[in-house]
Amino acid sequence: MKKRFVSAAIVAAMLATSLTACGGSSDGTESGAKKDGKDTVSIYVYGNDQEQAMYQELFDKFEEENNCTVDAQFSIKDDYGTTITGMMTAKNLPDVFYMGPENVKSYVDNGYVLDMKPILESEGLDTSDILSSTLSAYEYEDGQYGLPHDSSVFAYAFNKDLFDEAGLDYPDPANPYTYDEFVEVCKALTKDTDGDGEVDQWGCAFWPNLMIQPWLYSNGTSFLTDDYKTVNVTDPAFIEAMDKMVALTTELGVTPTVEQEAGTGVYQRWIDGTIGFYACGTWDIAAFMDPEVVNFNWDLCAYPTLSTGETYAWCGTVGYCVSANTKNDVLATKLAYYMSASDESMKLQSGIEGGNSVLIPNLVSMSDNEFAQAIADGTLKYPDNYEVLFNYLNNANGYNSRFNDETFTPNAEWLNVFFEGIDTVRDGSKTTEEYCNEIQPEMQQLLDEAYEDQ
Amino acid sequence: MSKKGYNPPKKKMSKAAFREHCYGLAFVAPPFIGFLVFMAFPIVFAFVASLTTWNGMNNMMDHFCGLENYIKLFTDEKFWKVLGHTIIYMIGIPIGMFLGIFIAMGMNRKIKGIKVLRTMYYVPVISSLVAVAILWAFVFNYDNGLINVIIKALTGKQGPNWLGNEAWVKVSMIIFMTWKGLGTSIILYLSGLQSIPRDYYEAARIDGASGWKLFKNITWPLVSPVTFYLLITGMIGGFQVFVEVLVMLPTGGKNYSAATVVFYLYDKFAANKYGYASAMAFLLAIIIFIITAINFKGQDKWVKTID
Repeated sequence: MKKRFVSAAIVAAMLATSLTACGGSSDGTESGAKKDGKDTVSIYVYGNDQEQAMYQELFDKFEEENNCTVDAQFSIKDDYGTTITGMMTAKNLPDVFYMGPENVKSYVDNGYVLDMKPILESEGLDTSDILSSTLSAYEYEDGQYGLPHDSSVFAYAFNKDLFDEAGLDYPDPANPYTYDEFVEVCKALTKDTDGDGEVDQWGCAFWPNLMIQPWLYSNGTSFLTDDYKTVNVTDPAFIEAMDKMVALTTELGVTPTVEQEAGTGVYQRWIDGTIGFYACGTWDIAAFMDPEVVNFNWDLCAYPTLSTGETYAWCGTVGYCVSANTKNDVLATKLAYYMSASDESMKLQSGIEGGNSVLIPNLVSMSDNEFAQAIADGTLKYPDNYEVLFNYLNNANGYNSRFNDETFTPNAEWLNVFFEGIDTVRDGSKTTEEYCNEIQPEMQQLLDEAYEDQ
Repeated sequence: MSKKGYNPPKKKMSKAAFREHCYGLAFVAPPFIGFLVFMAFPIVFAFVASLTTWNGMNNMMDHFCGLENYIKLFTDEKFWKVLGHTIIYMIGIPIGMFLGIFIAMGMNRKIKGIKVLRTMYYVPVISSLVAVAILWAFVFNYDNGLINVIIKALTGKQGPNWLGNEAWVKVSMIIFMTWKGLGTSIILYLSGLQSIPRDYYEAARIDGASGWKLFKNITWPLVSPVTFYLLITGMIGGFQVFVEVLVMLPTGGKNYSAATVVFYLYDKFAANKYGYASAMAFLLAIIIFIITAINFKGQDKWVKTID
């Protein structure tokens, strides 16, 4: 009898474990359900450890203020998109989650996200102080489907110490270099410092996937035409801009070669202090200001200008959206607004309070006043020319920023194929024109498919 | 006797037999349910998905496209390119077998410290694939990688761009995969070698057979079941290579020169082309099935057993 009981127990356990693997909520709490008599709102976001600690602090405050429970899940950026798509397939979305501007159309068209506009208006949640260029990235057919988590820009930086050693004046943020001026400065910075016959210090360096765009935009061109439907890489202005960038590596030798990049990446070379100019995103500031990461003096500057005479950088954002199936639409919208635009959230995340900055405030008045003041009085560690960031973000003082084209297409596959073979141009195996003519049809086909499949 | 013939009376199952029958079913149920849920259902689901242009967000059944994905695959140059890379990587299978049997024969002797040596060769097999792939990416580094540092120290010349050159990257991947799988080949060949009766060799030696003849006529034929097993598992695994590429060359290498079929499939998933990716997965499964079937069919001609 005992034996039978043991056997039955084992079988039951085996059955149970095999079936529980089929999924379900980790704590059995359904989205929007009540927990301990309080309304529950679930949120799923990504971030590093420092960011997660900040978010949790904010969720705790939100719970107190709204007498509710925030069921928070965190992940890392790499896994996020796949997990969200999986949640959509399983019809198990959290109440609040991240959405990039590139997803707005597909999420809305497929009925996954809620238009927050009516709730924002009825609850008196004011969005007028949120950076308009970023907020508008989440608008679609008169609806407001997201609120920005951040507004970031990929600006340019230079190594002050290398300029000092070369006896060069620092770049003037008010007067961006022309291409020719930039080339001359890069030549002066490119050196063989240890006399072994090999160059080991360079004027600049490129990670093309992220750094080609400012050159294109400043030459009045881009990957796609204005309607984001036609691949534009055979445009003469595109080829000219890319040629100028590639020439820095192939003809002028003021960047590491493709082979040298394969050994030590350009980011590492910048960190090592052997690169004159390198890109700096708003998210890089904290790391670059840390002397344990970057132990040389550096500052921000403008990207050089090409035919338009204007300096450009690309900007980016990710935003909070609310699931269309949420049972607590008001509370979920409030949480999204709280994270995006409340004073508490913006002060903590921008470092005005606490001193750890992971973003620039979404609120224009806060950026101009408290944030600028915190930098000026040293509460926040930012480089001297920090206004370069605001100039780009606000499209002010001759600076411009724009979202990259893939922000407005259903996926980025058409763009990825361009970068797969770009090193064949950068190592001199092909000319820019040959490459662009060769790759354009494939890019166009993938772009067409992306629109057809959405 | 009726027209239908003799019908034996149905035996009524005893209570104890019935209970035993139930227990049997209960014990079989977990793996069977597991198979249904985790194997059969995904296979059917993937097949249905492969007939649609499902992107994960839209309704799968509203986007039925028949065999369009399969037709597109046959004209997709990139698919054939990555299939070519995948097959090139399989050059490592015979190399691994040759090294495996060679080292196993060396280990099949009474040498001091042989157990330590065997363990050392097996360490790569039990190590995390991601960890060793990261390590090998360092080894293959153009500037400071172990191989190029040695080449420079010995010849004074810069070594090849192992991971950055379209041809060398394939050599690098073959070296890495051979290294990773070598331990398994050695252990299996070793057990194969130890199961060959010593009498065979003694008899052949008395007849004056040379070392090569012993190997050719006794060792190689009698370890052929191991060779067959390694060939089959190596080819199935070879068609599924993915992590190695993803870790060492996250973008698929210069001009997609390191990408494999599963890597391409993954890229399609990442681009939300679930239908197309499912079709590719299905086609890959069919290719694997055909290759395996051919191998099984051909085994009678060369696989020998001691019996």
